[in-house]
Amino acid sequence: MHFSLSSLLLLGISSLVSASSLTITIPASGPLPNPHVLPVTSHATLTTLPSGGKDHILSASLTRSATFVFHNLPSSGPDAQPESYLLDIRSAGDYVFVPYRVDVAADGSILGIWETFRGNPWDNRGAEKYIVDVAGKKQIDVVVEAKVLGRKVFYEQRAQFSPLSLVKNPMVLIAVVALGLMFVMPKLMENMDPEMRAEFEQHSRSSPITGATSNAMAGGGFDLASWMAGTGGPNPTANDAAQAGSTGRDTSGPARRRG
Amino acid sequence: MRLQAALFFAACLSPAAAIYPDEVNHIDFHHALLGTPSPDSTFFLKPSPASNASLLYTLSDKLLLGAVNPRDGGLVWRQNISRSADSPAHGAGLLRGLDGNDAVVGAVGNYIASWSAQDGKVGWENRVSEGVVGDLELLELEDATATSGVRDTIAVVASEGAGIVRRLNGNTGKTVWEYKDTSGDVPFQVSSSSTEVFYISLQSAMLKGFKIKVTVLDPSTGQQTRQQILNTEADVATPESVLYVGANSASPIILWTDKSQKSLKVNVIGTKEINSITIDNTSGSEIRQITVHAPRKLNALPHFLVHFETEAGAWAEVFHVDLMSAKVTKAYQLPYLTGQSAVAASVIDANVYFTRITDLEAVVVSSASHGILGRWDLQKPSSDIALHSVSEVVAKGKSVAVRSALFRKHGDWQLIRNGQIEWSRHEDLIDAVAATWAETDAQEDLAHELEVEGHETLYGAYLHRVKRHIRDLEHLPDWLKDLPKRILSSILTDEVSNLDSFGVARSVIVATKNGRVYALDTGKHGAVSWGVQAVETSQWIVKAILASPGVATIYSDDGSSVTVDVSTGEIVSRIEPSNSKLHSIAVFEAQDGSSLATVGVREDGTPVTAFVNEDGFLVTTSIDGRVLGWFAKDNKTPVWEFVPPSGEKVVDATARPAHDPVASIGKVLGNRSVLYKYLNPNLALVTAVNEQTHTASFYLLDGVSGKVLHATTQAGVDSTQPIASVMSENWFAYSFWGDVDGSESSAKGYQLVISELYESPFPNDRGVLDSATNYSSTATLPLPHVISQAFMIPESISHMAVTQTRQGITTRQLLCTLPFSNSIVGIPRPVLDPRRPVDRDPTTAEAEEGLFRYAPYLDFDGKWYLSHTRDVAGIKAVLSSPTLLESTSLVFAYGSDIYGTRATPSQAFDILGKSFSKLQLVLTVVALGAGVTVLAPMTRRKQVNALWRA
Repeated sequence: MHFSLSSLLLLGISSLVSASSLTITIPASGPLPNPHVLPVTSHATLTTLPSGGKDHILSASLTRSATFVFHNLPSSGPDAQPESYLLDIRSAGDYVFVPYRVDVAADGSILGIWETFRGNPWDNRGAEKYIVDVAGKKQIDVVVEAKVLGRKVFYEQRAQFSPLSLVKNPMVLIAVVALGLMFVMPKLMENMDPEMRAEFEQHSRSSPITGATSNAMAGGGFDLASWMAGTGGPNPTANDAAQAGSTGRDTSGPARRRG
Repeated sequence: MRLQAALFFAACLSPAAAIYPDEVNHIDFHHALLGTPSPDSTFFLKPSPASNASLLYTLSDKLLLGAVNPRDGGLVWRQNISRSADSPAHGAGLLRGLDGNDAVVGAVGNYIASWSAQDGKVGWENRVSEGVVGDLELLELEDATATSGVRDTIAVVASEGAGIVRRLNGNTGKTVWEYKDTSGDVPFQVSSSSTEVFYISLQSAMLKGFKIKVTVLDPSTGQQTRQQILNTEADVATPESVLYVGANSASPIILWTDKSQKSLKVNVIGTKEINSITIDNTSGSEIRQITVHAPRKLNALPHFLVHFETEAGAWAEVFHVDLMSAKVTKAYQLPYLTGQSAVAASVIDANVYFTRITDLEAVVVSSASHGILGRWDLQKPSSDIALHSVSEVVAKGKSVAVRSALFRKHGDWQLIRNGQIEWSRHEDLIDAVAATWAETDAQEDLAHELEVEGHETLYGAYLHRVKRHIRDLEHLPDWLKDLPKRILSSILTDEVSNLDSFGVARSVIVATKNGRVYALDTGKHGAVSWGVQAVETSQWIVKAILASPGVATIYSDDGSSVTVDVSTGEIVSRIEPSNSKLHSIAVFEAQDGSSLATVGVREDGTPVTAFVNEDGFLVTTSIDGRVLGWFAKDNKTPVWEFVPPSGEKVVDATARPAHDPVASIGKVLGNRSVLYKYLNPNLALVTAVNEQTHTASFYLLDGVSGKVLHATTQAGVDSTQPIASVMSENWFAYSFWGDVDGSESSAKGYQLVISELYESPFPNDRGVLDSATNYSSTATLPLPHVISQAFMIPESISHMAVTQTRQGITTRQLLCTLPFSNSIVGIPRPVLDPRRPVDRDPTTAEAEEGLFRYAPYLDFDGKWYLSHTRDVAGIKAVLSSPTLLESTSLVFAYGSDIYGTRATPSQAFDILGKSFSKLQLVLTVVALGAGVTVLAPMTRRKQVNALWRA
């Protein structure tokens, strides 16, 4: 419908193009069991330095059969130098592919394809994927397999709430032990031999902290705050010890508030 | 310092502050845009013969091919085919789809391809070597060889002096047959009926005008069966005179008018007869546009509608074609209505329906009779002109339902379902050329009041403050009223606290190429708050867009400017264009960051005006690649001039951002000694390339004296690929394509180079500055000690920016736009530290500093991707803005798509995140309370019992 003469100039240029093509297939692999799940924006690029007006960035979109096809690799005159391209496959940043080195002869046919390593000299080639058969006929359509390295993880996982993690919490563990002692200790004491019990109580009163605890457990209104402050009358423990000795009554000290 | 160190270690422990899956669509938004849908390449289509629901396909003026879900307006898939054609495309491309086919076929220039309608993957592609694709049609008729669900394509290729008609196999794209017309006629279009393929070309008549030539081809062999020439030279002066060529219809038609637009001429393709129908123009005014809407389906009734538009209104006439006699008769007329209207045809089985949407209502009629099947009032009548629409009608018994995708003049693509607007896509935003963060004046009042208080006496300030607080009490009843709702919503919503009051919800003012200005609210997922036509133009070259409290001013290259109110979009003031063409706009900023003064810079680098009162300096670039330094007072002679070595061309110049706070003037090393940063606010980084020798040079200049502080040259650089650079604090970074340059160890690939500037190579030493409190650029400016490191990166970076936070305490991220994978990545600065030890493991002191072993290849960690799995295409610039929260930086990207997010480079340390559950907290407190109330009587009883026992 829309014509202009400039478009017709293409004729001359296009006749130079040879019909060599490169197809990259994506085999099913560990990180990518089904190549058809690749997003539609996936594409492969061949990049090199611009020279002599050739296309130096070629791009191929993902096809329905999960391949990338470069039609008509660029060729220049017979006296031109062969060109070495970096082949990248990008899949919306999702799957990571091994970069390849693709050497293309001046007539647009492929000389060889190797794996390459980023951050290494360009001459440091990896596994060979394809090499031109020097003796035999030139292969026009080259097919190589892409290699998936892995998959990028974009998201941080939020810590899930689990009852086990709650139990593992040291604070909770301490609380559980303390609670257990609180309920189990009186039971144990009741089952104890009366003499031993008296001895135990005697023993425990000599230690201020356990004495205070047992006081509190025994229901005495022990004022922890005043005890810690060192105020609130005479030292309950010392008093208790003295009184227990004289009266034999099992009470907490006079510092105890009644009611 | 200690806080910074703590943050630094926090950042080292988890260098990636990645996005959580539940934050997607909550902290970020993305407008995936297509551009203006072209009227004849937009349609509803079922993506495969098996599917029930249809998608909306379009090929836009930006040559973006996409499928939109009509339910919510979301993009299903998208392909950019603008680079696929070898030749520049002429105008719009072509896109064709057909029910029963699982692929859509499109063509641009000499490129023709088929895409899976379901997911947009390429089925086959072809580059025509002979010329460009002129027209395209899918062949609906099925022959014995075809597999179901696959339709062949008929393409017309226009080449020099010949027209070629090709039938392309639907599976492979290979040519089935070819018909070559070497008569020298202008190839025009292709059409098909159930039995024949028609090739329509225009034959130049003896004197002037064209005769329409119809060549009838056999669809299975491509052999010419007959040829017809219509004597139309009196009416058809140009190919545009032919209004319509039908396709895929039982009786395809060609339609044109006579020169005076008094009568319609219709030819049923394949016959010799020309029907002439008088146009019944009752409006009295001149017809501006005639459009034809006909079904594109073989089994549909041969009815069509002609829509006539005048300046003030529009009407439409429906015609029937008699298949036997090839006679065209007028059936009925849709009445003349003032205002705009858009008509679309749709087909159910064989019935044809026409949907007409006017300013006020939507009407559906059947092609057979004039009875109105459905009428809906538009809920929100729009003043915006409807340009074209496509419709899909569903018949439910006697009643019908309709949904129409309507494209309006101001770039809104709306789906109207039974009169209701279901969604609206702002396709105009694809042309965004400049954007800036709006500054509201709400905070400005308070700042002003505080300023008053600061300048008064102690007693006066106290009184002022008390008065201000009493005045604030008037907001108390409203605040109390909102309180229950706020508490309830804060427990129920995802985000723990509403961060809008912390500057997270900011407006962005966006100017587009066609003269429109929009405000997008980042707090409401980038919703458009308002849009105005600021300038009537289609090529608005915006040089700068500056925000001051309450208003934003957009400066154009012709010296004109428009100031808009940021809250309403009202145009506050305008400055008319001056006669000089501007190259850029420079901004003077006072010490306190207020009172913006702007000055235009001409193409030769001279400022338009001089500022007698300003004491600043100016660095400008000229169009011929020089960098000039100026005093603000003098715009005649530059103070200094930087010209790169011969052969080099200045391509870019960057400076530190206007808001670039430095939290610490030094870098604390592992042994508690300090490396002092070289902090010069007047730095400029100039990029120059030499296209012949493939080198790129980077010059670090002092803006006041023009002194070159540091220069470096990279070899094997592709200057045609983007070379992005950025500068902040005491470092700068750039990236480029580096190629093998002959040396043995050179690699091929993209590189990112980072350089840090220090005052001296030794810790605890400030070099020549020593204990000086100030220094002069003109007297003895010391040179920085530069530490650089290069990394190989997996792909190209087209634009660089740096996250900005309020105090600069949070570690920075280098925001890189990746054009190949359509992503935005935020590389944490600690990773890019050039002091990372090379070829050895870090010492204990270095490890404590957070340095780890250098590796030449820097792969982008998935967690660095701010855009995560989104396809953010065509980004040209990224803006960053600080918020009131030190941890958070707002990011906004524009250019083609619109994308906005929040970046937290050191994690959101000052926000209670989603993992903090308020509900859990409340429940814990309630449980504790319940426990206390239950246990308290028990304990009391026990105490009493104990007392009694005693």
